[in-house]
Amino acid sequence: MGMSIIDVRNVVKSFTAGDRSITAIDNISLSVDTGKFATVVGPSGCGKSTLLMMIAGLIKPTSGEVTVNGEMLTDPRPDLIGMVFQDATLLPWKTALANVEFPLQLGGINLEKRLHRARELLGLVGLESFAGHFPHELSGGMRQRVGIARGLAHDPTILLMDEPFSALDEQNRTKMGQELLRIWDLTRKTVLFITHSLTEAVYLSDVVFVMSASPGRIIETIEVDIPRPRSIDVIDTAEFGRIRNRIWHLISAAEP
Amino acid sequence: MRIILTAQLCFLLLLACVWEGLLLLGVDQSILPPIGKVMSFVGKFVSDPDFLMNLGVTALEIAVAFAVSIPIAIGTGLVIGESTRLAKSVNPIIYLVLALPQSVFLPIFILVFGIGFFEKVVFGITHAYFVIVINTFAAVRSVPNAYVVAARSFGATQIQIYLRIYLPAMLPLVMTGLRLGMIFCIIGVLLTEMYASRFGIGHLIFGWGEAYQVPQLIAGVVIVSVLTILVNEGMRLLEVRAAGRYGATRR
Repeated sequence: MGMSIIDVRNVVKSFTAGDRSITAIDNISLSVDTGKFATVVGPSGCGKSTLLMMIAGLIKPTSGEVTVNGEMLTDPRPDLIGMVFQDATLLPWKTALANVEFPLQLGGINLEKRLHRARELLGLVGLESFAGHFPHELSGGMRQRVGIARGLAHDPTILLMDEPFSALDEQNRTKMGQELLRIWDLTRKTVLFITHSLTEAVYLSDVVFVMSASPGRIIETIEVDIPRPRSIDVIDTAEFGRIRNRIWHLISAAEP
Repeated sequence: MRIILTAQLCFLLLLACVWEGLLLLGVDQSILPPIGKVMSFVGKFVSDPDFLMNLGVTALEIAVAFAVSIPIAIGTGLVIGESTRLAKSVNPIIYLVLALPQSVFLPIFILVFGIGFFEKVVFGITHAYFVIVINTFAAVRSVPNAYVVAARSFGATQIQIYLRIYLPAMLPLVMTGLRLGMIFCIIGVLLTEMYASRFGIGHLIFGWGEAYQVPQLIAGVVIVSVLTILVNEGMRLLEVRAAGRYGATRR
């Protein structure tokens, strides 16, 4: 076991809707080691996005505690955590370059520095020639690559990814998975990735946290020992199929 | 764009044909004067100092009313757009007021504010205010929460969220509100000028109508129409630009 960088201990999150209290997350504990690729997988509505928002410091747990790099976060920390969102969530009035630059602009980095950094990141995701394009001029996969570049803007230690490829078709989804592993290999960030795709979870991860819905709980933690680098063909191996089926059965058994 | 312009020119041509056609059919020239005669008055007016002074008074009233409306209306829209609770209680009132024909309140306005520049400006403001408020409110609500969450995760302060997310994302709808507000403002000011006023283009037009000076009357209407259309088209150009740069088509 290495050093854990993300620690979630006995976290509960409940919301009030009218006069009812809904428990979205019920006593979750997990930890992610530095440099690992971890995934949370579970059915929609199991609270996996809520969990991510709490780790990011965007919302506070009702009880329990979240520490990142040994600190309890009360506010977002872009220097420590980069975020990548569903459907990329790029600002439509900004070019690809300006979108990548945006977190640096918010941080008050001077123009020359942030342009240099943004170009470098667009190069990393293979989009240097699309710097001047607006989001609507890019394909879904390209938009998400800009989203990843933007998440890396402050060179954070951790990358939190909230179902980033869920809007893509199967073909592009697989391609983006490979692309993400390539980028991860170059940057070696600690990644916490959220998905409802079992194949995606197993293909990308070192460790998979399996969640059940209503209330959201972690029902199993699975280590994926498939050696890296992983070509797309690992999906066809017996080992891969065995792990994926195990997750499938865990989630099915937990369904009401 | 060219098709629209062609259609609009065709319409004007058709209007002119119907106009002259009616005269050929023998319609009384004291009710419908020939186009040439009206146009000669248009030409005369645009170089007449007295006419231009009155036009200037109207333009100033509209400009002042509009300039005052913008900050208070956008401010109101922002405040109620930000607060769900406030929106719940204030919105029904705004829609109620918006449903009323404001013109019936004009005599009361005159009783309260007297006749003059101030009263006309106030009537212009009350006309522009509500439509700008509801558009600003809609603009606040149109900003996707995902943008705000993303910006916060990148470390944006509340002020940065207002300036860098809300402002650009709201611009298209706010521009629509401002254009409609301008039209309402013009309506309000002209209405009060026609009802009770000593100066202004509305006052002149009403006077010509009273005195049965039809060519002058129609010439005045033509000039006001052309100017209003120019203002509207100018603002629409800005609106289209804002929509192109910041609007939904970019999404």
